Amino acid sequence: MTVSAPSTFRPPGSLPTEPLAAYAGPWNARLAAHLLRRAGFGGSPAEIARAAGAPMNAAVDALVHVPATDSLPAAPALIDDAEGRPLTATPALPEAPAMMAGASPAPDDAATSAIVELRKQRNMLRREQDRANVTWWLDRMLATPAPLQEKLTLFLHGTFTSSDNQKGIYGLEIVDQNALFRRYALGNWRELTHGVARDVAMLKYLDNARNVKAHPNENFARELMELFTLGIGNYSENDVRESARAFTGYTFRRRTGEFFFNAAQHDDGAKTFLGRTGNLTGDDVIDIIYAQPAAPKYVARRLLEFFVYSDPEPQLVDELAALIRKNDFNMAPAISTLLRSNVFYSERSYRALVKSPVEFVIGSYKLFGVPQVNPDAIAVLRRMGQVPFHPPNVKGWDGGVQWLNTQTLLARENFASGLMVAAMQTDNFLRAASAANATELARSLAQTILQGDASPASLANLEAFLDGHGTSANGALSGENYEERLRGAAYLTMAMPAYQLC
Amino acid sequence: MQRSRFLIGALAGLSVAATADDLFGAALAQPILPNLPGGSDERVLVVVNLQGGNDGLNTIVPHGMPQYYRYRPTLGIAPNDVLHIDGTIGMNPQLASLKGMFDKGQVAIVQGAGYPGPDHSHFRSTEIWQTAEPSKYVSTGWVGRFLDEAGLPPTNLFNGVALAPVLPAVMTAHRIDVPAIAQLQGYGLSSDRNASERAAFATLVRDDRVPFSSPYLATVATIEDHAQKGSEELPKLLAGYAPSGTYPATPLGRSLALAAQIVGSRLGTRVIYVQHGSFDTHAAQKPTQDRLLRELSDALKAFYDDLAAHGNDRRVLTMTFSEFGRRVAENGSRGTDHGEAAPMFLIGGGIKGGVYGSHPSLDQLDNGDVTYTVDFRSVYATIIEKWFGRPADGILAGSFPALTMLG
Repeated sequence: MTVSAPSTFRPPGSLPTEPLAAYAGPWNARLAAHLLRRAGFGGSPAEIARAAGAPMNAAVDALVHVPATDSLPAAPALIDDAEGRPLTATPALPEAPAMMAGASPAPDDAATSAIVELRKQRNMLRREQDRANVTWWLDRMLATPAPLQEKLTLFLHGTFTSSDNQKGIYGLEIVDQNALFRRYALGNWRELTHGVARDVAMLKYLDNARNVKAHPNENFARELMELFTLGIGNYSENDVRESARAFTGYTFRRRTGEFFFNAAQHDDGAKTFLGRTGNLTGDDVIDIIYAQPAAPKYVARRLLEFFVYSDPEPQLVDELAALIRKNDFNMAPAISTLLRSNVFYSERSYRALVKSPVEFVIGSYKLFGVPQVNPDAIAVLRRMGQVPFHPPNVKGWDGGVQWLNTQTLLARENFASGLMVAAMQTDNFLRAASAANATELARSLAQTILQGDASPASLANLEAFLDGHGTSANGALSGENYEERLRGAAYLTMAMPAYQLC
Repeated sequence: MQRSRFLIGALAGLSVAATADDLFGAALAQPILPNLPGGSDERVLVVVNLQGGNDGLNTIVPHGMPQYYRYRPTLGIAPNDVLHIDGTIGMNPQLASLKGMFDKGQVAIVQGAGYPGPDHSHFRSTEIWQTAEPSKYVSTGWVGRFLDEAGLPPTNLFNGVALAPVLPAVMTAHRIDVPAIAQLQGYGLSSDRNASERAAFATLVRDDRVPFSSPYLATVATIEDHAQKGSEELPKLLAGYAPSGTYPATPLGRSLALAAQIVGSRLGTRVIYVQHGSFDTHAAQKPTQDRLLRELSDALKAFYDDLAAHGNDRRVLTMTFSEFGRRVAENGSRGTDHGEAAPMFLIGGGIKGGVYGSHPSLDQLDNGDVTYTVDFRSVYATIIEKWFGRPADGILAGSFPALTMLG
């Protein structure tokens, strides 16, 4: 119990003989819930029952064949400033010299004060837009009929990261980037990468908009290889410098907010990048990267760590990478194969990941039938360590053991507790959870919330809690105390370790 | 002493409900504040992570090196603005409070700290500074290994404390579980329906006989257990401390105020981690770095004033680090890209202040970067050996000569 940092979180045991071959074992609610947790954001009891009632292949088909999502709002409303100007464009406000120096304006300087006031209002509206953006996406995760597409969008956001309301990213720029991820979620990820190199939010986030011939800025070029496509060790510092030159001139027009290749700022001299020499452009660099053997392996490893388990075996990475290469980075076949595979449904994979905060919150909403995301969820998610559109840095969220510390687990438990006192939101679920006695009720809660993943001792403890052991004043479970005990027991069930695991 | 007994009592009381009891087996046998060999049981280290890569050349400014101004046409700090230390170097003018402490002999500057084979990735280089392993990947931090090997009781929930929303690699240990505390307010369970729910919670979160196996199960159970117990105890343990003076209303100011409270409340805490940033100034560096350096300097001053008012300033050594310095030449966006070596600060009433190591050459650059002159592991070795009185070679997987500001 004192081991806080094992050197690997790969599950013990060994790979099945054909890890990616189609799983042919028994199919039940436990595995259907596993599929919905991993390939989506969990399921309501009805959704789990439906997936379990169909054959495994049909359940995966329903995820991989993305249904129309026209019923969902395509984007949040765009907020303009008081004068009707968009918040995206470079503000047409004069710079206040006093502000630039970091000093407060002289009280008698009315013009400066007016500018300060305008900026304050703008910043407030930008924060409002950012909250609207995050809430819009969370609502979409909750309501979408295409959860796998949405889950992959989250995966891609955590890979090709940008952050809203940072580095001049305002308005709907992050939502536009999000639409790009969604469009390519089950599409071709090399083509996606070409799109990312032209995406305005990315051009701002990693400074490529400022990458000019006379002074190359390496930020995007470096992270493109280190974090987006190859991983460290598969390129040299010289490759970083040379590819930064190749991306010079990839910028956007400030007036329209659209991608623009500025030929005058592009370095069209010869570059040598990963062994190829020529007048390379940024797009050439991307194609060279995806021809590297390391590229499909990098994607495969990240997918396995996101969908299956931590620290996957090199053999498993290689097998999935071969499939990705064979399909030329069209990702649907590899993802579809993975979600039907022996390794995905193996006991080693079951509950072998830690739920991300987004999985925890959206999954709980789905489980209890909460119809809409509460705007307070953003603050809750911040305490848990994950606000969509706000990765901690360009590396995204590390996930796994990094989700787990005293602070973030307290936040999870307090969210569960809050959900169980929000009577309106969970009424339907709680009404459905009726049982004749404490024994049955404990079993029913453990089944619905944990798919039965509780020890006999814990069931007995839950039962004892429901029956009022330790509170001599209140007595056994009765009509009087039924709802309060039920809510308390549901909270306790959500606090159990199994509920933190995916 | 009374406080220590109180903590043991609290833990022993809660252990009644526990199922896997190896956590508590030794609780009553060991004092909560063991004497470390070397007799430095009162000593605390505060680690300040300057996240994002702080530009060393504009922190300790080599105003006496003409090349500095050639490489920094817009970002160079004019000689008259620099807070002079000697004819070659001085401090950024935003560090006025820190310069005051330096002049009183409470600050040691280690110039040119870095490591062989420098990595320009934030993440790898952060990992290298935190794990003290430039050549391989390891799962524990150097502080974590120190905590593991210092003979501290794992039953104390506050041997090390990370004042951060996420546990940093530097504090990751095998034997000791370090809590992450973003801020004291809101650190605790909000549900408090009744005693029976609390008791049930304590047992249920340690459910480890589940009908599945997960590599994360034991970790989740341990941390949930520690979160409940620690968050219940901490406010009580800290309640007797009245801070002195006013801290800047910044995240770092709040973190250091809490750090002073933890030190003053004598919880047996040996290392406290705080963070500050982001210093990743690829564009328009000056306003960002100015603000961050001023916040750093003012918060450290308030911290040591508070510590001194409680007689704790000689007990606390503070060390700053950043994953790298920045490129010597500024880029076209009035910013700087990722570089290599940079200065570190060691601060406290118990050190010999001054300037240590030599400033890296600006004549011979490594592909546009300064080359390190002091291996940062020498600084860690100094702290482990001279501050804590423990052998450093095992923790650092090698022998690194200690510097002379301590001991």
